[in-house]
Amino acid sequence: MTKLLSIRGLRTWFHTRAGVARAVDGVDLEIAPGETLALVGESGSGKSVTALSILRLIQEPGRIVAGEIRFDGMNLLTLDDRRLRAIRGNRIAMIFQEPLSAFNPVQSIGAQIVEAIRLHRRTSRRAAYARAVELLEQVGISSPDIRVHEFPHRLSGGMRQRAMIALALACKPDILIADEPTTALDVTTQAQILDLLKSLQTENGMGLLLITHDLSVVAETADRATIMYAGRVVEEGPVATLFTRPSHPYTAGLLASVAIDDLPPGERLPEIPGTVPSLLAMPQGCAFADRCPKASGAAGCFTKAPEFSAVSPRGEHRVACFLSAMSPAWRFPVPAERKTLPREMEEDEKIKAKEAA
Amino acid sequence: MYFALLKEFLRNRAAAAGLVILVLVLAVAALGHFRFPGDPWEMAAAPMLWPGEDWANPLGTDLMGRDIATGLVSGARVSLLIGLVSALISAIIGIAAGALGGFYRGWIDAFLMRVTELFQTVPQFVLAVVLVAIFKPSVATATFAIGIVSWPPTARLVRSEFLLLREREFVQAARSLGMGDVRLIVTQILPNALPPVIVVGALNIAHAIQTEAALSFLGLGDPNVMSWGTIIGNGREQVVDAWYICGLPGIAIVLVVLAFNLLGEGLNDALNPRLAEK
Repeated sequence: MTKLLSIRGLRTWFHTRAGVARAVDGVDLEIAPGETLALVGESGSGKSVTALSILRLIQEPGRIVAGEIRFDGMNLLTLDDRRLRAIRGNRIAMIFQEPLSAFNPVQSIGAQIVEAIRLHRRTSRRAAYARAVELLEQVGISSPDIRVHEFPHRLSGGMRQRAMIALALACKPDILIADEPTTALDVTTQAQILDLLKSLQTENGMGLLLITHDLSVVAETADRATIMYAGRVVEEGPVATLFTRPSHPYTAGLLASVAIDDLPPGERLPEIPGTVPSLLAMPQGCAFADRCPKASGAAGCFTKAPEFSAVSPRGEHRVACFLSAMSPAWRFPVPAERKTLPREMEEDEKIKAKEAA
Repeated sequence: MYFALLKEFLRNRAAAAGLVILVLVLAVAALGHFRFPGDPWEMAAAPMLWPGEDWANPLGTDLMGRDIATGLVSGARVSLLIGLVSALISAIIGIAAGALGGFYRGWIDAFLMRVTELFQTVPQFVLAVVLVAIFKPSVATATFAIGIVSWPPTARLVRSEFLLLREREFVQAARSLGMGDVRLIVTQILPNALPPVIVVGALNIAHAIQTEAALSFLGLGDPNVMSWGTIIGNGREQVVDAWYICGLPGIAIVLVVLAFNLLGEGLNDALNPRLAEK
C-alpha cells in the first residue's frame, strides 16, 4: 500500500522556562489514501501536538526539532512558507474540537467557506459561493442557501461541526486531520458526525487522521490505531488486532478501563494506577514502567527505552515494550486492594446477611 | 446584524441625542453657506453687533464687523474636517503599529512599543504646537500634527486586542486553511479587534476638535480659514464687553465634543458584548 503521509522520528519540544518539555518524542506514523488512522492517547500524550506539527502550526515556545514528514514526495518540515501555505487547507485540512471557537465570530460561515476556496482556487466569488452552498448540503445541513448567511454562534453544536467539516472539505483535501471532532458534542450528534466523516471519506477517498481519546470512536471508525503515551508511540496496529490482542500493557489497561460489560455490578472499574510522568522529567527507561504491573528490572524496563518492533508476522502490529510476548488474552490485573465494594453496597450486604440469619 | 446593532445603539437615549446633535452640525456645515454666504473674513456690518440686534446678522458681528454666523458655519466645516481626518490618520497609524506589534511580538513589538512610549512621554498638545510651528500653520499641517500626536492610545489598544486574539483557535484554524500573515491580520483578527477601536476613534475625533480649537486660539490655525478657535482667539479681548463673540463658538465646540463623546459611549455600550448582555 502506498503511503500518502508518513511521519518519521518526529520530535516537537517545548522550550519552557522550567525546562524542555518533550511533548512529541520520536513519533512514527503513516496514512494511506482512504484509510482512517486513529491517534489515541490521554490528554497531554502529544497527539494534538503531532497533528499540529504536520501542518507546522506549532507556536513558540514549541519547535519541531527533528523528524521528517513526507507528503506526496515533499518533506513538509523543510518546505518554504509559500508552498506550505498552498498545502494547508488545500491538500491537508484540519477540523478542530470546538467548532465555535474555530470559526471567525464576525464572519458568516458562507463567507469563511468562500474565502477558504478562493485562497486556493481561482474562481469567482459567485462560483465559490455556489460551491459553499453545495458543501453545506453535502454535510447534511438543511436549507443550506439560508444557513450560508448565518453567523457561527447562531448554529447548534452539531450543525457547527458540520459547517466546520464543510469548511475543511472546501478544497477536497487528500488528508483530513480531525482533532477530537466529536468531543464537544453529545452522543447522538457524535455518531452522526462520525458517520458523516466516514461517508465523505469513501466519497473523496481521503486519508483521515482521527485524533481521539475515546476508544468507542476508534472501534467505530478507524482502520488502524496508533496509541501514544507521554509523547511516544507505544503500540500500533489494525484496530481489530489492538482491541482483541493488545500487546502493550498501556493499551491493555485502556481497554480494561472501558470494558465494563463483563464486570459484576458493584465491582470497581479497573484503572491504571499512578499518573502520566511529567514531560519535563521523563524517566530514563520506558515512560510507562512506573505504572506498569509487568515492569521488571530484569527486562530493562527502568533503564532503557524499549524499541518499537513488530509482534505480528507481517509487521503491521508493532509495539514498544520489552515484554511484548504476552498471552493473547492478556488482561489488565485489578489491584487486590481495590477489589472492595463501595461502602453502600457493603452495608446492603450486611443487611442481607442479617436478614438471612 | 448591523440593523440589530443600530437598534441597540438607538435604545440608548444619550447616544441618540449625540447622533441628533451631530446630524444638525453636519447639516450646518454642509448647508450653512446657503443661508450665510460670503467670506467670513469680510466686514459685513457695523462691529460689535449683539446677536438679534440686526436680523441681517442674527448672531451679531465681532470687533472687525465680521459676521459671526458665517464664521460659525465655516468653523463647523473646519472642525469636522480636521476632527475626522486627523482621527483617521491617528487610527491608521495606531492600528498599523498595534497590529504589527501584537501579531509578530518579539523585536518588532519591542521597537514599536518604545516608539509609542516616546510619543506618550511628550505632552500631546506641546508636541502638536511644535509640529505646527515648524511647518507653516495650515489646515493640512494642523490635521497632520493632531493625527501624529494622538495615535499611541489606539496603538496600545489594538496591540492588546491582537495579543489576545492571535491565541484564539479561529486564528489557528484560518492558518490551517493556508492563510498568510497579511490575510490573517486584515481579514481575521482586525475585524474582531475593531469594536473598541471604533469607540476610541469617536472619542479621538472629539479630542482632535478641541486640539484644533486650541491651536487656532493660540494663532496657530490656518490664517486663511475661519475656525471656532480663531473666533474665540480674536474675541478674547472683548470677553467682558461682548462675551457672545467667545461664547457662541465655545458653545459650538462644547456641543460637537459632547456629541462625539455621547456617540463613543453609545457605541461602547452597543459593541461591548459584556455590557450588552445585561
